[in-house]
Amino acid sequence: MEAANVAQNLGQGAELAGKYLTFSLGNEGYGVGILSVREIIGVMEITAVPHTPPYIRGVINLRGKVIPVLDLRLKFSMNHKEYDERTCIIVVEVQGQTAPVQVGMVVDSVSEVLNIAAGEIEPPPSLGSSSETENILGMAKAKGEVKILLDVDKVVGEGLLQQLAS
Amino acid sequence: MAAGHKPLSDLLDEMALKILMIEPGDLSIVGELLDLTEKLLPGQAAADTPMVIQRMAAAFKGALEKFIMGELADSAENYDFLGQCITEMQESARKEGRPGEKILAQFCDNMKKIGFSLQPSDLLEATDAVSIGMGAAEDKALDEKASAVASPQIDSPQVQAPAAGGTGQEALPDFLQDTDLLAGFIEEAFEHLESIEVNVLELEQSPDDQDIINNIFRPFHTIKGVSGFLNLKTINRLAHATENLLDDVRNGKRAMDSAVIDIVLTVGDALKSMVENIKDVLQNGPANYKDTDISSFLVNITQLQEGGNGAPPVEAVAAPVPDLPPEVFEPEEREEVEVLASEEAEAEAPPEPTSARVAQGVVSPRAPQQPASPAARPAADSGQKKIGASIKVDVEKLDALVNAVGELVIMQSLVRQNKLVSRIADAKLTKDFSQLTRITSELQRTAMSMRMVPIKQTFDKMIRLVRDLSKKSGKKVDLIMEGADTEIDRNMVESIYDPLVHMMRNSVDHGISPSADREKCGKSETGTVFLRAYQKGGSMMIEIEDDGEGLNTQKIRKKAIERGLVSESDNLSDFELNNLIFLPGFSTADKITDVSGRGVGMDVVKKAVEKLRGKVDVQSQPGKGSLFTIRLPLTLAIIDGIIVRVGTERYIIPTIAIQESMRPDRTNYSTVHGRGENLLVRGELVPIIRLYEIFGVESTNTDPCEAIVVVVENEGRRRALMVDELLGKEEVVIKNLGGLDVPGVAGGTILGDGRVGLILDLAGVIANKAD
Repeated sequence: MEAANVAQNLGQGAELAGKYLTFSLGNEGYGVGILSVREIIGVMEITAVPHTPPYIRGVINLRGKVIPVLDLRLKFSMNHKEYDERTCIIVVEVQGQTAPVQVGMVVDSVSEVLNIAAGEIEPPPSLGSSSETENILGMAKAKGEVKILLDVDKVVGEGLLQQLAS
Repeated sequence: MAAGHKPLSDLLDEMALKILMIEPGDLSIVGELLDLTEKLLPGQAAADTPMVIQRMAAAFKGALEKFIMGELADSAENYDFLGQCITEMQESARKEGRPGEKILAQFCDNMKKIGFSLQPSDLLEATDAVSIGMGAAEDKALDEKASAVASPQIDSPQVQAPAAGGTGQEALPDFLQDTDLLAGFIEEAFEHLESIEVNVLELEQSPDDQDIINNIFRPFHTIKGVSGFLNLKTINRLAHATENLLDDVRNGKRAMDSAVIDIVLTVGDALKSMVENIKDVLQNGPANYKDTDISSFLVNITQLQEGGNGAPPVEAVAAPVPDLPPEVFEPEEREEVEVLASEEAEAEAPPEPTSARVAQGVVSPRAPQQPASPAARPAADSGQKKIGASIKVDVEKLDALVNAVGELVIMQSLVRQNKLVSRIADAKLTKDFSQLTRITSELQRTAMSMRMVPIKQTFDKMIRLVRDLSKKSGKKVDLIMEGADTEIDRNMVESIYDPLVHMMRNSVDHGISPSADREKCGKSETGTVFLRAYQKGGSMMIEIEDDGEGLNTQKIRKKAIERGLVSESDNLSDFELNNLIFLPGFSTADKITDVSGRGVGMDVVKKAVEKLRGKVDVQSQPGKGSLFTIRLPLTLAIIDGIIVRVGTERYIIPTIAIQESMRPDRTNYSTVHGRGENLLVRGELVPIIRLYEIFGVESTNTDPCEAIVVVVENEGRRRALMVDELLGKEEVVIKNLGGLDVPGVAGGTILGDGRVGLILDLAGVIANKAD
C-alpha cells in the first residue's frame, strides 16, 4: 500500500505540477490546487450546526448560498487558535455525492499562489499510519520552504462523509 | 443511519401509498411495490432494519411475485389483505422490531388468506444468521424468484396483448433515428392523450357538444401526423383508425354513443402505454421495445364504423344545440389554433412547444363542471378564450431566478438597515428606497408565481378516477369540481396526487352508499362528491366533500378506546373523535369504520400532507356527509416560521406546527424520576424538550419556568420546546445546508441580518430526544 502510494506519487509528479494557493496553519505551509479554489473571504460569523464533529464550525451565508465551513486546524488535530484579522476562509469546490458542493476551510492566513514544478514535488513522508498522510498529495520544496500539498477532495469530502455517517 | 437508505418508516409509508393506488388489472404499481419491498430484503435493507421486518418483507415479496405471475387472483380483495400485511409491518416498525405475537399472527393469517402459508415462528427465527436462517418464508420467496426467472418476466404490464399476426413487426431502428424529435413527440403525445381523456369524460356529460368532439378529434389527428412522420407505424395506424371513426361522428354519420366513448378511452390508454414504451426504448435501449397488437382495436373500430353495435346516426349531433349556438364556441382564436394544429400535423414535424401549448389551452376547456345547468356554460366558456403565448423554461433556471430574487430582497433590506445609510436624512433617498422596495417585491411575486401551476391537471385525473370507481361499484356519483384554476407550487403537484386519490376513493367507496340505500334516506339517487380548491390567507385549501353517510363517530370512539388511544373517561368533541382516524395505528384491519381503505389508514394521507408542510382534518355529520380539508402552503420554497432565540443561536420553528407558546407556571411543571419533564398544557401532559440540550448550545435559562416553551405538534405527538425568547415571525426562503445533513435540522435560511438561521425539523427533534 505504502510502496504503491510512493510509486504512484512519483509517477504523478508531473501531473501534480501546477499552480497552488498556499496558506499557513501555525508554522506549517500548505497548498491546495488553484483549480478547486473558488474564492477567499475574510472570516465572518459562523452559525453552529448541532450534531456535527467539532472541526465542522457550522454554516455561513456566501452571497445567498448556505455553505458549510470546516476548521483545518481542528481537522488536522492541531491546537485551536482564536480567529483574527489574518484568518481567512478559502472556499473550495469539490464533488459531492450528487453535485459539486462548495465548502469553506478556515486557515490562519493565506500566503500566495505558487507555480510548483514537477521536480519540486516529493511523495508524502511516512508518518506511521496511512490515515495521517492520505490527505496529502505530496510535499513541495519551493522558495526554500516546504509546502504540504493537500488533496482537497479527501480533506473536505471525507470530512463531510464522516459527518454524514455519524 | 447510513447515507442512501431511506428511514424504514418512510419506506413502509410509501408502500402503503402504493397499495392504495393499485387497481385490479393494473400490475404496473405492483411492480413499483415490488421495487420498494426489495429495499427491505435481508442483505439490502439498512443495517438497522429489524430482522423480523426483513423476513416479513421477504414473505411479502413472495406474495407480490405470485400476483405478477398470475398465480393469485388480481382482485381487490387480495390487495386488501396485502394492505393489511403492510399495516402490520408498519405496526412492527413502530414497536421497533418487537411486534407482539398478535401482530405476527395477523400477518401470517393475512398471508394465508392469499394462499401463502407462514407460521409466526418463521418470522422469529434466530436473529443473527442473515443468509441461512431465513426460515420458510425466505425459502419460499426464493422459490418464487426461481420460477419467476424461469418463465418470462412481466415487468411492465401494460395493455399489451401477446403479439398476434397482422400487426406487421416494426423494424426497430426506424423510429430511433431522430431521438430529439422523438423525445419531443413523447412529451406532446402525453399532453394530447391527457386532453383526450378529459374531453371524452366531459363529453359523457354533454354528448352532443360538437365542440368537444372537435377537441377530441384534433389530438388524434396530430398524433397520427407526427407518428407517421417519425415512423411509429403502430401508433400511427391506431390513431388514424380512431381519427376516422371520430370523423364519422363529426360529420354526423354516427352518434357519439357510449360504444364510441369506450373505444376512444381504451385506445387512449393503449396509445399511452405505447408511447410509454417508446420512452422506455429511448431511455433504456431498443431491447425494451414491445410490439403492441392493435388488431383487436382496429376490428372494433371498423365494426363501429360499419354500424356494428352502435346506434344509427342521431339528428341531435348534426342539429345545433338550442342553448349553445355554435358561434359561441367558434371564436376566432379557435379557428387559428385549429389551423395551427393541423398545419403541424400536415407539415409532419413535431409541434413546436409554444404553439402546442396554445392548442392545449384550447382543447381542454374546463371550468367548474356543471353539466346539469347549461346556463352556466357560456360563462365558463368565456374563460376559454383567454389564450396567452407561453414558453417552456428549464426548472433549474427558474429555481435560480427565484433564489436570486430572494437574495435581492435580503440584500436590499441589509443595505437599508445599514447604520450609515439609515442615518441619511434625504427625502429623495427615502423615496427611491421605497420605489426600490416596490420593484423588488413585485419581482419576487412574479418570480414566485412562475413556479405555480393550476391544480387543474391533478383535478382532471380525478374525473376518470371517479368515473371508474362509480362504474365498478355501481353507485351513481357526480363529481363537481370548483377552483381548478387555483395555482399551486409545481413541486407539490405530484406529491399531492397520491393522497388525493386515496381520499377520493374513500369518499366514493365508503362515503357514498349504494343508490338504493340513499333513496331510503330520502337522498337523491346520485351521490355527489365535491372537489374544491381555493386560496385562503396564504394557504392553498383543497376540500373533498361527499353527501354520503358521514363518519360513524361512536364506532371510531369505540375503536379508539380499544386501541388505547383515548380512555373511556375522555370527553372528546365529535370533531376530535373524527380526526382520530388520522392517527397511526388507527388503521382498519377489521374494517369497523366506514373510512377504511385498503386496510391502510388515513395516517398515510396525513403523513404525505405533512411532508408538504400541510395539515389535514375532517368534519362530518352523521347521515349528511363528510368534509376533508387539506391546507397546504402556497409554495415549498418559503416557510412561514417563528424565529426563536436559544442562547446566542437563532432557530426557526415552522408556524404550521405551533399550537401555542407560554411561560410555564410552576404548578404545571412535573418530572418523572427527576428526568422526564412534563408540562400540563390544557389538561394534557406534554413532554418538554430543552432545545439547548439537544443542540449543545449555551442557554440563558436553564429553568423551564423562567424560559418560554413553544408547544408544537408533529405526527400527532405534542412537545413543548424550551427556548429563551421569541424574536418574531417571518417568511423565510429554505436553503439546504450545502451538503450537511443533520438530524433535527430541515435546512437553513438567511435571516434579515445576513446570518444563517437553522430551520428545525420537528420530526427529527422529537426523534432525537427519544434516542
